[in-house]
Amino acid sequence: MISSFIANPAFLEDIIRILFVFVLITAAFTLSTRNIASLLTVYAVQSLLMVLIAIFLYLIEGNKTLIAIAALTLVSKVLLIPLFINLIGEKIKISRDLKFNYLEPTASLLVSIGLILLAYVFLSGFFSEFILGKLFFMGAVIGLSLTLMGMLVMFSRRKVITKAIGYLTMENGVLLFGIFVADLPFIIEILIVIDLMILVLLTTILAIGLDSTIEEYHQRLQTLKIWSGREN
Amino acid sequence: MIILGYLAMGAIALALIALSKSHRTMNAFFILHTLAFLAIGVYVLLTTAVPIFETGSEYFYVDHLSLYEVLIAALLFFLASVYANGYVESLVQAQELHRNNLKIFYMIFSILLTTVTLAFFSDNLALFWIFAELTTIFSAALVAILSAKENIDAAIKYIFIASGAMLFSFIGLIFLYTLSGEVLGSGTLNWIILAKNAALLSPKILTASFIFLFIGFAAKSGIFPFHTWLPDAHSKAPSAVSAILSGVLLNIGIYGILRMYAIVRQTQAEPMVSKFLLGFGLLTVAVAVLNMLLQKNLKMLIAFSSVEHMGILLLGIGIGTPLALFWTLFYILAHSLTKASLFFSAGILHRQYESNLIQDIKDVFSLQPIAGWGFVIGTFAIVGMPPFPIFSAKFFILLEAFGFSKSLVFAVLLLLVIASAAFARFLIEAFTQSSKDEGTDGMEALLPYTVRGGMKFPILSILFVILALGVFFPEPLEKLLNTIVYELGYM
Repeated sequence: MISSFIANPAFLEDIIRILFVFVLITAAFTLSTRNIASLLTVYAVQSLLMVLIAIFLYLIEGNKTLIAIAALTLVSKVLLIPLFINLIGEKIKISRDLKFNYLEPTASLLVSIGLILLAYVFLSGFFSEFILGKLFFMGAVIGLSLTLMGMLVMFSRRKVITKAIGYLTMENGVLLFGIFVADLPFIIEILIVIDLMILVLLTTILAIGLDSTIEEYHQRLQTLKIWSGREN
Repeated sequence: MIILGYLAMGAIALALIALSKSHRTMNAFFILHTLAFLAIGVYVLLTTAVPIFETGSEYFYVDHLSLYEVLIAALLFFLASVYANGYVESLVQAQELHRNNLKIFYMIFSILLTTVTLAFFSDNLALFWIFAELTTIFSAALVAILSAKENIDAAIKYIFIASGAMLFSFIGLIFLYTLSGEVLGSGTLNWIILAKNAALLSPKILTASFIFLFIGFAAKSGIFPFHTWLPDAHSKAPSAVSAILSGVLLNIGIYGILRMYAIVRQTQAEPMVSKFLLGFGLLTVAVAVLNMLLQKNLKMLIAFSSVEHMGILLLGIGIGTPLALFWTLFYILAHSLTKASLFFSAGILHRQYESNLIQDIKDVFSLQPIAGWGFVIGTFAIVGMPPFPIFSAKFFILLEAFGFSKSLVFAVLLLLVIASAAFARFLIEAFTQSSKDEGTDGMEALLPYTVRGGMKFPILSILFVILALGVFFPEPLEKLLNTIVYELGYM
């Protein structure tokens, strides 16, 4: 019974379309949520949606790279990165990011509707030259929109950790765009994830520095044992 | 073999720095690292027939352009490492840099050199993208190492703006990959293959891809409107790092734009992309110059001047003639050297006054004659006075631009005059201030800061080299630049 569903591409495509809607909902949450713990949960859910989309797309296309991407995303973005940020977040005891630059949540939600339309118009101008199925075109639009909405998060939030989540959202958008538009070699995906990890590591460590006086900062880094450049 | 040589040297240097116990040995190993990279570069340039592929695959590619950039980078790292010996020790004694962080500082500095080198040698554009990203992260760590709040702020701004913009570049790469897949059967991001088959690529999508790639590379090289991180990061970083940020890291973005333009110019997309570059170049120069005019902070002034020069490099690329490219390439070298000497002098002045602000600088020539004169001569060089090399480079780029648009040339000339005025104003105001004029309002006379060993050598040697380059254009350099112009397909 299940296998007959899985073998039916139309059904799978519908599932992916529903997942697209979920992705946009998570992006809207990222723009408006003030609580950092729930922001992290939203990010983990968003990454999990990426995993699911990659798996369903594999079932349609049969491209094995997609499975590898799904596995990599699961380990790095659903598990490791949220865990790490959570650890740092507990150390610096910021639970809420109340301040918004330039845009309040309602305004940024309106702006992001504009961004989605922009992505649609822009891509439909260019993709007439590519032979791309409807689903793939939709994936590209959602991917680009997600990237732009992540950028909006980076601009409109104050705290470093929320900015980092904005960056991570952008990266999820690029990943989505990538799996629907091109079959990039897997090695490149691995390199991007490594880059992502180093970036998250550095910015969150710097977030500790911003949150404390300098003497405290060194002490905290010693206890975290991340930045121990002690000469021994 | 070449890449493996670099990698092995980089790894050995990193390990040695990690094992060293004193500042002196860490610095010595770092200097050796830079010298080794310089030596490999010179050796390859003299003995090996380039362009060649590297490490048995098509991921790395050594041609004259990448060698030229790598040599500039290694030279600047060498000068910065010599300068760092005394400068960083001063920072430690002033308790601005924690002694525990010394090892981290040198290790990241050393990794940065290796990463920059690998970025320039990457043939695969995705690989180039990754290495360019990593250079942002490592250099931001060097900005933040002083662990003052303003440094951390500057580093965070730098990371988010540059890396965020680089994600748009990646979308550009995806476009390019799909585009090449449609034409060549299987997608590729190898520059050499793309350049060879450029004529087949659809101009419309190539333009879109170029614009996306441009966003990231422009942010990396401080082009308007993505330049906002640059003045903060470059002015807050320790001066040895500032010199590298301005002299080497900005070149990475320009290098990316140059490589992409070499592909685009073979297609119908060229007129549009060229206008696009000229427009952004002009805007960048204008914004930078207006920020320089009333600048009160010495290092901010130098940082905005970097933005200005990146704008001119963009103009040089956008003009797109072989001669313009030749002088743009020469400009990269001249700017990197001159800018480094300015930051090195500014570093000494900052140690002396513990401030970069115009009102705190007094009695420069009696307290710090070398840094003072170094800065004055460096200023003449950076605004493009003859006989310094930036003069001839600017002159010929603008001469080529004349055939393109006369009003563009006049606009740029006007902006350059304002830039010179900004430097002149700063010099006259800051360097003529004397503590005697203010009377004795309870202030004790400043004691001269003892410039430590190694800090004067980079300034003096750069001034010597740029003077020499200004009056005498060495033939091997001319040959090298001509080869690069040829290899990029301009002739």
